[in-house]
Amino acid sequence: MFTQGELKRYDRQIMMKEIGAHGQEKLKRSKIFIAGAGGLGSPIAIYLAAAGVGLIKIADGDRVELSNLNRQVLHWEEDIGKKKIESAKDKLIRLNPNIKVEISYDSINQNNVMQMLDGFDVLVDALDNLATRYILNKAAIKKNIPFFHGAVNGFEGEIMDIIPGKTACLRCMYHGEPPSKKFPVVGATTAVIGSIQAMEVIKYIAGIGDLLVNRLLIFDGLDMKFKEFKVKKNPECEHCGNIRNKQ
Amino acid sequence: MSVQINLHKTHRRYTNGQESVYVEGNNVKECLNDLIGKYPPLRKEIFDKKGQLNPLMEVYLNGESAYPNELAREVKDGDKIHLIYMLAGG
Repeated sequence: MFTQGELKRYDRQIMMKEIGAHGQEKLKRSKIFIAGAGGLGSPIAIYLAAAGVGLIKIADGDRVELSNLNRQVLHWEEDIGKKKIESAKDKLIRLNPNIKVEISYDSINQNNVMQMLDGFDVLVDALDNLATRYILNKAAIKKNIPFFHGAVNGFEGEIMDIIPGKTACLRCMYHGEPPSKKFPVVGATTAVIGSIQAMEVIKYIAGIGDLLVNRLLIFDGLDMKFKEFKVKKNPECEHCGNIRNKQ
Repeated sequence: MSVQINLHKTHRRYTNGQESVYVEGNNVKECLNDLIGKYPPLRKEIFDKKGQLNPLMEVYLNGESAYPNELAREVKDGDKIHLIYMLAGG
């Protein structure tokens, strides 16, 4: 059930036949975990909060720095020095007081990831390194939680959706272990990629459209092109290879 | 036998800005070696010191992941190879 305020707030979504009141109700009941409150986490959280996702939990162990502000639009100059999760929660609740926002100041690691993901319907990748992405990928598969991957570098970005047990996972696609290092990026790149991730999450929750499963979408902002590549589920994958392909 | 290799943006500084290069070869490895023959500085980008494919790079053949055994994958006239770098920022 929606309040009059909610009906008005979500009117432009409810009026779409793909979403309607039923889809909006699904969004309201959904529990989303966003790993990271930075460049990708900002647009992901903003658009999911605005869309009416009922519970958003954000985990990030960093504080806001001046050098974050070219892209991390949840954080403003006045937030420098604050925990990113607190800055994020403040903005999201001000944007949409109808939703619930939970926060965790923990950096995700192998010891805490399984517990952190307890009870969530969807996991969204807003991380800044591949090592932790692999931890999340593995945990998502073990807990059977759909995982929405996104990553950026410079003017380039990529997105792929992972449905455990059914589709290719991050490890099916990536085989190397790049070192964690400072990466270049323009804020508009994270906006494009994070917005597409939010779109994919909304589609998944509402049960509509074609997801980016077994498909890697690559965005090149300099040439202003999108390219798509097929990724196969690897039966020998060290993360998901022991899960039977149900498709 | 002509195969088109589409280069990652960071590789194009070695190819005078060319986005793609036509090469010859019966498999992916031969095609990459032909590419390196034309643009030798690309060797250190594509292969590691042991001659293995750069672990940070993925090979797509005709729009599909060529993993595993990418280098041994046979190619035919008109095929397209894309070299993609892993992205990790956020």
